[in-house]
Amino acid sequence: MDPKRARESPESAVLSRPSAFPDEVLERILSLLDTHKDRSSASLVSKAWYHAERWSRARVFIGNCYSVSAEILVRRFPNIRSVTLKGKPRFSDFNLVPQNWGADIHSWLLVFAEHYPSLEELRLKRMTVTDQSLEFLALKFPNFKSLSLLSCDGFSTDGLSAIATHCRNLTELDIQENGIDDISGNWLNCFPDNFTSLEVLNFASLNSEVNFDSLERLVTRCNLLRILKVNKTITLDQLQRLLVRAPWLTELGTGSFIQELTPRQYADLETSFKGCRNLQTLSGLSEATALYLPALYPACANLTFLNLSYAALQSEELARLLAYCAHLRRLWVLDTVEDKGLEAVGQNCPLLEELRVFPSDPFDEEIVHGVTELGFLAVSYGCRKLRYVLYFCRQMTNAAVATIVRNCPDFTHFRLCIMNPGQPDYLTREPMDEAFGAVVKNCPKLQRLAVSGLLTDLTFEYIGTFAKNLETLSVAFAGSSDLGMQCVLEGCPKLRKLEIRDCPFGNKALLSGLEKYESMRSLWMSACKITMNGCRLLARKMPRLNVEVMKDEESNDGQSYKVYVYRSVAGPRRDAPPFVLTL
Amino acid sequence: MGRSSSSPSSSIDSTSNLTPLSPSSPNSSSSSSSICLSSNFTSRTTRRSIRRDLSTDLRLGLSISSSPKHVLPNNNVVSIQRVDNQQRPDWPPIKPLLRSALSGRSAEERHGAASSLFVKVYMEGVPIGRKLDLLNHDGYANLAETLAHMFKAPILCPNGSRAHSDKHYVLTYEDREGDWMMVGDVPWEIFMSTVKRLKITRADRC
Repeated sequence: MDPKRARESPESAVLSRPSAFPDEVLERILSLLDTHKDRSSASLVSKAWYHAERWSRARVFIGNCYSVSAEILVRRFPNIRSVTLKGKPRFSDFNLVPQNWGADIHSWLLVFAEHYPSLEELRLKRMTVTDQSLEFLALKFPNFKSLSLLSCDGFSTDGLSAIATHCRNLTELDIQENGIDDISGNWLNCFPDNFTSLEVLNFASLNSEVNFDSLERLVTRCNLLRILKVNKTITLDQLQRLLVRAPWLTELGTGSFIQELTPRQYADLETSFKGCRNLQTLSGLSEATALYLPALYPACANLTFLNLSYAALQSEELARLLAYCAHLRRLWVLDTVEDKGLEAVGQNCPLLEELRVFPSDPFDEEIVHGVTELGFLAVSYGCRKLRYVLYFCRQMTNAAVATIVRNCPDFTHFRLCIMNPGQPDYLTREPMDEAFGAVVKNCPKLQRLAVSGLLTDLTFEYIGTFAKNLETLSVAFAGSSDLGMQCVLEGCPKLRKLEIRDCPFGNKALLSGLEKYESMRSLWMSACKITMNGCRLLARKMPRLNVEVMKDEESNDGQSYKVYVYRSVAGPRRDAPPFVLTL
Repeated sequence: MGRSSSSPSSSIDSTSNLTPLSPSSPNSSSSSSSICLSSNFTSRTTRRSIRRDLSTDLRLGLSISSSPKHVLPNNNVVSIQRVDNQQRPDWPPIKPLLRSALSGRSAEERHGAASSLFVKVYMEGVPIGRKLDLLNHDGYANLAETLAHMFKAPILCPNGSRAHSDKHYVLTYEDREGDWMMVGDVPWEIFMSTVKRLKITRADRC
């Protein structure tokens, strides 16, 4: 080989060689790539890889529905079977976003009907979905299999009827925590008699009563059913009959767990729980009491996820239950279990990776109950593998948090909510800065952080200095000056989502992150010290960002705004309601 | 039947020296905050027969929100959880479904209703019913006693013998499933959680 030629650039050498890989082979290999991150990386290698990847991609995840348009999506990816879309900003869960803000799925469905007629799966979070859209979905996509709606709004149980009636190949119907018009339970009757493909059915958060006979027949004929989560109207003896029909369930959400059972009925219930040998996830259990919980014990041997957030258990009840749940990895409870209950968690669940403690009485701060720093400490001593925590409490100390993260350095998600805003360390009366300093110093893998309590800029200096893997940060009622927010924007290279409310961060802070916002998914700021001029300046300097401003109705001086900033290749959105000003 | 009537405030007396803000001013009753000192108080008191010790209930009658205030570093004073004694819809940050599940319970408690579980009681043959607070009773005997008093009729205590005949009445209740059952067969706690209304029927009908 001519030595001169050998010193040519590698790229031209590759391009001048005939391709050793036919496109079909390349596509086949790339189709084995699973995660979105890997696929994104692969698509950046070369033009050939970009095209091979886009032809072979079947599943797409869009974290902000306004970051891209349906037209752009279908142009790039012609063969999509599964779409996951997230709509409204997360703070809409807490009533901070007015109704009719947007994120309507319908315009997407119209485009999908034309370009993805074989669409099989739609997973939506915080989107607006109307009955009309659901009917359209049911009628226009004959291969449709899987529907998951989480925290969505705009539809009623009539929409579910349309899905049940027309989707012949449905395998999954997962309706969770949506703001829907719950007219009746008749939708369940709409599954045809010859319909047998259902594998996942979750209607736990619906309130209307369903026809039990319909449900029983459905469960009987769908012998692939592995996930069943019923609502509160299903009684214990009805549950028993369902379990007998589907003992191979891997995930179960019970109905109401209180009823007058005869001894015979109780024995039957216990027997049917004994028959559920594959149960990995258990939830529901509303109004469960010490009387009937023991019926569950035989089913708990393989449990990895126990969701008791609708069952107000006391500490002894939880302790007795946990004695049977040695393999638990995820536990969600109400703070009625108190510190004593959490001690039992530490003692019984050494494999625990995730703990969420919700407040049972969040609106009354005069009642001092729930959990304290002691409960959290107890868990950290017993569960060294803890990596995800969401903890609502009324008191915390810096020292306790420091000990907790020394015990459990593997935290990836640390969400602490001291419910009274601006509350200091209750023993030392100092700010909680050192607590979160300890978290970011000790937990190098930290991806998600939510802070609370009395916090100065020091907390944010710590975050900017140490939290190098941080992707999501939630801040409320914290900070002393613009410096706080600046530290985070400058110091956290992987930051994707920043949501801030009621903090003293103003235009200077907002504008310090100009270039940063293009590498982030979104920024939310409300009840801060931002002015309209600051937002206009941001919009002018960064034309590829969408800067959306809403007037804050609740502010006293009429000067407060809610700002939502996000990157987009689709330009400003065309469906913004009148109260959203796009700058 | 005597109704409780609010006694005239002493400050209305025109001869007394009036001060503009007296503790018994009318505004206070609507925004009273109560401190419950009962250590066993849980949000499930409607399901348990825990009796509130009313003597330790202090009604402060303050018309300001009594939530603890903290001064934030930027000198904003924050008092968060109540705005004029209404729940804030945006704090603490819990999702809507859990929020409504919990606030349903808490709302009952805030009106003092967690210390009461009122059910309608009808006597056979009498068109106008009464209302009775089940949480004010600690068992079936207590309940039967109150009812006998209220209706001036001998109610069979469920544990008593059934030898008595038509002069006596028995107590029945409608449960959650809409069935009418004899009171007394199940433990008191279970009864409390499923009872919707009571009916006093003649013993010879059962």
